Amino acid sequence: MKLLEYQAQAILGKYGVPTQKAVLIDSKEGAAEKIAAANLDFPVAIKAQVQTGGRGKAGGVRFAESAEEAAGLCGEMLGMDIRGFTARELLVAEKAGIAAEWYVSIMLDRDSKAPLLIFSPVGGMDIEEAARINPAGIARVPIDPLRGLQDYAVGYAMDKTGADKQYRDQLQDVAGKLYRLFFDYYTMLVEINPLIIDASGRLTALDAKIEIDDSALPFLPDISGYRDRLQEDPQVTEARKAGCLFIPVEDSGNIGIMSNGSGMLMSCIDLVSKKGMKVHAAIDLGGGATSQRIAEALRIMLGRPKVGTVFICVFGGITRCDEVARGAVVALGKSGAAGKHLILRMEGTNKDAAMRIIAESGLPVTVTEGIPNSVEAVYKISQRQGIG
Amino acid sequence: MSIIVDENTRLLVQGITGREGNFHTRTMLEYGSTVVAGVTPGKGGQDVVFDVNGKQLSVPVFNTVREARDITGCNATLIFVPAQFTPAGVYEAADAGIPVIMTISEHTPVHEMMKCYHVARQKGLRLFGPNSFGIISPGKCKAGFMPHKYYMPGPVGIMSRSATNCYETVMMMSACGIGQSTCIGVGGDMIPGSAFVDLLPCFQADPETKAIVLIGEIGGSEEETAARYIKNSVTKPMVALIAGKNAPKGKNMGHAGAIVGADGTGSAESKEKALAAAGVHLAESSGHIVEILKTLKL
Repeated sequence: MKLLEYQAQAILGKYGVPTQKAVLIDSKEGAAEKIAAANLDFPVAIKAQVQTGGRGKAGGVRFAESAEEAAGLCGEMLGMDIRGFTARELLVAEKAGIAAEWYVSIMLDRDSKAPLLIFSPVGGMDIEEAARINPAGIARVPIDPLRGLQDYAVGYAMDKTGADKQYRDQLQDVAGKLYRLFFDYYTMLVEINPLIIDASGRLTALDAKIEIDDSALPFLPDISGYRDRLQEDPQVTEARKAGCLFIPVEDSGNIGIMSNGSGMLMSCIDLVSKKGMKVHAAIDLGGGATSQRIAEALRIMLGRPKVGTVFICVFGGITRCDEVARGAVVALGKSGAAGKHLILRMEGTNKDAAMRIIAESGLPVTVTEGIPNSVEAVYKISQRQGIG
Repeated sequence: MSIIVDENTRLLVQGITGREGNFHTRTMLEYGSTVVAGVTPGKGGQDVVFDVNGKQLSVPVFNTVREARDITGCNATLIFVPAQFTPAGVYEAADAGIPVIMTISEHTPVHEMMKCYHVARQKGLRLFGPNSFGIISPGKCKAGFMPHKYYMPGPVGIMSRSATNCYETVMMMSACGIGQSTCIGVGGDMIPGSAFVDLLPCFQADPETKAIVLIGEIGGSEEETAARYIKNSVTKPMVALIAGKNAPKGKNMGHAGAIVGADGTGSAESKEKALAAAGVHLAESSGHIVEILKTLKL
């Protein structure tokens, strides 16, 4: 899960990383009073809080010389669209006097299977772009997670990139705090960009990104509240509450695919796509899904107006086919398929019982054997729908 | 032969008194696996009795892995505990020197598994998973929760990031009379305890394995790493299936490790290109894997 800037700044502040003095504005009413009460030094920057990069270019960062001007800009910016995200919150922060802009981050690196310290004395821009322009200006140092971040790793990164050594103690301090935060908050990435040297020579985080491993959210109660403020497809939220994963695939597609495993789900998407059809959305039911979860997932999928054909493909190990069948009957029985078609392919645990349940229900479900036949059936039925 | 687990495997089940651990211990005993011990802290001294094919089999429960190892000589462990307790289970097994450690549960934070990975590596132990279905050497040992009736002994070694894609492939193989030497659930997470490249030397050295199937998917670079090794060191014929060619970019596809970056890193194309260059046959589906295996005349 990607945190918003102000959420990331709050966590950095908790660890004692210097950040800009700022105030969060989430409504026009009282904005002027709130800004005045924050006792900020002007000018200030007003930054839209959205989960996307490049907000500056999209008009999501503006500057003001006074509280009145800032409040006026807040009125203009609240609710604006930035690359598909609505600016529901704004961070009004002191505009720093900047002597230099650096970059520092710690990311979890799949290739080295270790935390990776990334540092550059040329910050402020996208790090991938910086790497393309000047690869020698960036240091990437893998850290042994059993020994932790040692000061020499920071020294090495500074030497390698020619950074000004008088800030060595400060950078070691900041990097050490990031490293602790990285493990405490299970962050896939914690990035400060830019890390500025302000007019008084202090390293300060001007903008920050934190991305947290979703698997760790149950262990981070202070973060899980942030999830409700995310802007996501309502079906994604609904599905998560039901214990499964809803994945929007291609908006123009008309096929919905559901499976009890991520691998089979991807394979079905591949085979359906290979046949020239377009997948609108997919749902990973997870292992051992109950009939209740299946019913809820199917209801969500059938609720997408663009989905005409739903293909459920299950290979039951932990998942029991009879639960799948029961769930399908409940979902269809309640809402009816309403002109939509369901193709059901089940293999594995309790398959026979599942077949009986479907047959006895009398519901319009096409039951198929094997994936190739199933994909063929999906093709035929969706073609018919396209014509009808 | 076969690799990692076989008729000499003496299994320990950590979490044997839990619902999942208990259920799957019974299916492993039914298959004929040798389960010599279970561990549940605080329940040591009990026996868990299983009704297996009309016979009563009892498995002793210990408080700690070390005690279980000292008394029963277990040489592999399956960790059937909830995600948040999995890291402690791995450390305990590693400290007791259990050479094969398999983790099953999904949703263990990747930072914890990263540390487990390095601990196992430093101690020279083999760690599998997390988010793995386990390992089966058909006819010899089932260590995991895979639906075993689809498996049959034979010449093909399989390693897979996905459980469902592996089951599907095995079912179709067995239906055509092509059996398996060993099937390994590498697991669907970002940092697998053992990656494809760690298992290739074992399959290459195993005289019973005549061909190797790799079932990969989008995300990470384990397939590319494997391809580099295959090119220089694997002489047995190989078939690979990469799932997720049509997955949208930047979206997690269910497995924590299955994601193509917004910039295209971890794409199926990159993996297929690397594997093809290493001489691996590429399959489009489980059915296609079987078609290719048939042409190999194993």
